[in-house]
Amino acid sequence: MTAHIPTSNSHQSLHWRICCQSAERHKVIFYYEGYFSQTIIVAVSDAVKMRIEHLGAAGLTRRKLFSSFIEMTQNIIHYSVDAYTRDDSTVFNNEVRHGSICISTDAGRYHLHCANPVHADIAEQLRGKLEHLHTLTLDDIKREYKRTLRAEGPKDSKGAGLGLLTVARDASEPLEFEFMPLPNSEDVLFYLKATI
Amino acid sequence: MTNIFIPASTSSPEVDFQFDQRRLSLKGEAYPENAALFWADIVAAVRQFIQEDKSDAPITVDVALSYFNSSSAKMLFSLFDALNEKAATGSSVILNWFHDEEDDTIYEFGQELCEDFTHLSFHDHATQS
Repeated sequence: MTAHIPTSNSHQSLHWRICCQSAERHKVIFYYEGYFSQTIIVAVSDAVKMRIEHLGAAGLTRRKLFSSFIEMTQNIIHYSVDAYTRDDSTVFNNEVRHGSICISTDAGRYHLHCANPVHADIAEQLRGKLEHLHTLTLDDIKREYKRTLRAEGPKDSKGAGLGLLTVARDASEPLEFEFMPLPNSEDVLFYLKATI
Repeated sequence: MTNIFIPASTSSPEVDFQFDQRRLSLKGEAYPENAALFWADIVAAVRQFIQEDKSDAPITVDVALSYFNSSSAKMLFSLFDALNEKAATGSSVILNWFHDEEDDTIYEFGQELCEDFTHLSFHDHATQS
């Protein structure tokens, strides 16, 4: 994965260009770009479930895909910068976020690509976690998952540390990630790819 | 202690806590938008029940969660921690852990619970899909 924003026809969305570039020789079986809310995630995950079932993926693969899909898309809700908060929240804090999710397949493997803008300081936190994950073996990841599960989490955390560990644990390769500068902004586009 | 019944939603499980029958049940999928918010009241209710409970009759907990996200996993751990504390005081707490026979993730999570919460009487139930 190259560290530059793909240049091409600027009418095409940045997210779509990134997806196409990294899914170059793959078959894209699902793509959504737009605002993510819990309702949208539930509906989209349903469509994804049906699509993967239709493609005949094994039960274990379907479970891992669904799990990674939920973790990645809920991270978009929790960590994206491009948000507005609806005022009608009574109990729950209604959060919507902009991002994209792409699922591509290649030789029986599935790739989940996810992109969303984040604040620069969040990007640094994520980078630290992901670089650390990159150094771990699968056994290390499993051990760290168990440790993090038992640890007293930070009060406001919605489980992001455990979330990345969950995706990493189910992936067949180390997670790929990239942070790309956004034009006219201090924010950063966070790209994550998991292979199952 | 009032019983709790929360019907399942598209992303949260059915919660059926019959405190009077000493039977607690969780069933479905758990990936609510804000897991801390969803589970906090549930865990608090269980803690309250434990605190007020004068009986040492056994408590049965049936858990049949086919999926839970990472933040729910964390909250579930604290739920079972509370139940484990109760079991440590002499009251038997039976945990029936149901999962699809091919679902290693749920199975392994159950094993984690079993290892950590030694006072719970843990029973793994692999069900055929």
